Amino acid sequence: MSGVPAVRVSIESSCERQVQEVSLDGVETYVPPLSMSQNLAKLAQRIDFGQGSDSDEEDPNGQSRVSDWSKQDLEGEEGLVKFQPCSWPWDSVRNHLRSALTEMCVLHDMLSVIKEKKYMALDPVSQDPIVVRTPQVFQLISKKKSLATAAQLLLRGAEKLNKSVAESQEQWRQRDFNAELLHLRSQWKLRKVGDKILGDLSYRSAGSLFTHHGTFEVIKNTDIDLDKKIPDDYCPLNVQIPSDLEGSAYIKVSIQKQSADIGDLGTVSLFRKPLKAKPGSQAWHLKLEAAQNVLLCKEIFTQLSREAVQIKSHIPHIVVKNQIISQPFPGLQLSISLCHSTMDKKNQRASPDKTKPDDHLYVLEHNLHQLIREFHKQTVSSSVMPHPASAPFVPKRLRVAGPMAYDKSEISSLQQSEGLLEKIVKQAKHIFLRSRTARTIDSLASRIEDPQIQAHWSNINDVYESSVKVLITSQGYEQICKSIQLQLNIGVEQIRVVHRDGRVITLSHQEQELQDFLLSQMSQHQVHAVQQLAKVMGWHVLSFSNHVGLGAIESIGNASAITVASPNGAYAISVRNGPESGFKVLVQFPRCQAKDLLKSDVLQDGKWNYLRGPYKEVHWSKMEGRNFVYKMELLMAALTPYP
Amino acid sequence: MGVTCVCQVPVVEGKSVQQTVEQLHKRLEQLGAVKQGSFFVDCETYHATTNTGAQPSKLLYVMHNSETPLSCLVLFDGGPTLAADANFDVLMVKLKSHFQNAKGHKVESRGARYRYADFLIKVGTVTMSSSARGISVEVEYSACVVPGDCWNLMKEFMQSFLGPSVPDLPSVFSSKAEGLFAPADCMDTMNQYLELFSKIRKQQVLPGSGVR
Repeated sequence: MSGVPAVRVSIESSCERQVQEVSLDGVETYVPPLSMSQNLAKLAQRIDFGQGSDSDEEDPNGQSRVSDWSKQDLEGEEGLVKFQPCSWPWDSVRNHLRSALTEMCVLHDMLSVIKEKKYMALDPVSQDPIVVRTPQVFQLISKKKSLATAAQLLLRGAEKLNKSVAESQEQWRQRDFNAELLHLRSQWKLRKVGDKILGDLSYRSAGSLFTHHGTFEVIKNTDIDLDKKIPDDYCPLNVQIPSDLEGSAYIKVSIQKQSADIGDLGTVSLFRKPLKAKPGSQAWHLKLEAAQNVLLCKEIFTQLSREAVQIKSHIPHIVVKNQIISQPFPGLQLSISLCHSTMDKKNQRASPDKTKPDDHLYVLEHNLHQLIREFHKQTVSSSVMPHPASAPFVPKRLRVAGPMAYDKSEISSLQQSEGLLEKIVKQAKHIFLRSRTARTIDSLASRIEDPQIQAHWSNINDVYESSVKVLITSQGYEQICKSIQLQLNIGVEQIRVVHRDGRVITLSHQEQELQDFLLSQMSQHQVHAVQQLAKVMGWHVLSFSNHVGLGAIESIGNASAITVASPNGAYAISVRNGPESGFKVLVQFPRCQAKDLLKSDVLQDGKWNYLRGPYKEVHWSKMEGRNFVYKMELLMAALTPYP
Repeated sequence: MGVTCVCQVPVVEGKSVQQTVEQLHKRLEQLGAVKQGSFFVDCETYHATTNTGAQPSKLLYVMHNSETPLSCLVLFDGGPTLAADANFDVLMVKLKSHFQNAKGHKVESRGARYRYADFLIKVGTVTMSSSARGISVEVEYSACVVPGDCWNLMKEFMQSFLGPSVPDLPSVFSSKAEGLFAPADCMDTMNQYLELFSKIRKQQVLPGSGVR
């Protein structure tokens, strides 16, 4: 410590006080320390006096606690005296102590009274064992009881539900007549005449001019025995339709080969199954719909038969009973018949017709319905002029013609030019022609294997026109032989054939014509195929003719011919193909190969030997190959020398 | 519905109306025109009974044309025109108190109708109280609706069978602005007929025109 100046170590006690504030010059202001009594008050405030009071009696060392408290009490007493002016924090402590004192006093009094045993006695409480024993018995009983009430409640609810379901069913069965009538009115036209309710079945509002009144009567169904069980299909409303509209009807259209005897054509009666009821629709609705259908069928038939009688055609239409017979093509008859069945007659007639095949043309039946609706629509014009009642009757469509000063052509265009029958006959003709064309092509395709014939039918048709594309090819050579492509437009009376090069040929409805035409095209195809093949094989076409003027005359079309020469010119093949006579193939050899050829005096020089000499026919049937073009390819290959 | 021209053809000297008409028919047939039925145009005159003072009563013409068979065409003197239903005739009977039919003023033209390509020719005899008064020729060119565009063609065509007596462009067209006139076509024709009829009515009865 000698040479070293003494170091002053200043020790500062750690800050025990809380810093209240730090001023700007760094001086810290401290919170002044609590005085003893302040500290005590603070601690006393933390005590929860209510906590220990309940556990007072059980506590074994309650006595010590009491002594503790009494000590506190003393201190508190002190504090109370000390801090008289600020007695507020001690107020709660005092209150608690007071109440505790009161209780203690009461307890003390009680105990002293009991001690004398004069007025009060302490008895052991005997409730405990009962409380423990009863639950087992009583709980069982009470549970049983509550279960029973719950079950009863449920049962009552179920009963109620049952009752309401039954009630609603009953209500459903006994539907209100008026509700039913309202329902009916939303779908059918009704009016009240006297005490009757009449409805309208007819298509008059849609433009029909049919004279049938088509009224039905609405009746309240009262013949129901209330005691008996009500049938499921019971309906309080019933409709009565005219007797001639009962049952079911349809129009049958068929095309048949003409039968020898007209006499037995008489009545056609074919029936179909009654319509199945749609779920949710009422009986009366089905009945009315069926009746309306009968009415429409009748209207169609009446219209057709009226036209059949009126129209002058070279072969008159025949109307026999419920059948109209027309002759679209010779030897063919179109019969349109109204089949109307009433339930009672059904059993008598149904049997004999079962044997006949069903040749019903559904398309035409459908078209007839469409046509009559179109006809209806024409009568209901959108621009109808008002018409005075006194004025003469003019068709609605023509009312506008006068004021608009329509001229003759416009008026005639307004008037219906074609009747239902004419249209349907035309459609029938077209359908027949189409099916026959299909048959002709199919039969040719199945009969003739070489060349092949393919038909591609267009699936978008008009009612009067449809078209088919016919391709003639050879099997295995489809890519090179595409010369013949025909477009057949099938009309009502004739077939127009549009050739690939734009030529148009019109064929009549005769089946033979189409067949002959296709046969001649097929024969031409073979020669065309040879031409195409020659190109591929490197042969030269010397001559080609679609219509040969020489040789035997063909009954169908003309024969066609082609001559091709081999690449080096040594050989030539000549093919003649006729639709009827078939093909004939000749090969021309060079002169040098023809042994039997006489030496000519003129052609002495050896170079002339290379000229082609005589023809020899090829035995075509003995050739190998599956079809004509293949055989021809083999022949050409055989005649082509190796390079 | 094309451009129509109606004109009067003078009767050839020394011939009756009928003979002149036949001559026209013959010429048309030689041209190659084809006869297509017949036609008629008639006109009835009504005058208003409610006469107001000094003004001369207005005339109402009710006309029919076989070209528009369902219509009745009504023309007011220099006023509005009306195309109506054929029922208008009945209505006129009911309007007796306002319009009176001038009896004996009924004029009509009847004759044959010829078609030559796009031309429609109607040669008619104008009769008034059953006496033939003159000849009317109506030529319609149905391929055009603008009079100015086809007038020369029509004129040339008319020259081919009428000779020098070809009319000028009808006043109905010249008074109107150029343009389509198709909607009023029927009325234009009727106006021309009316003009022709009133011209003929004023004429003296032709000497030598017999009763048909």
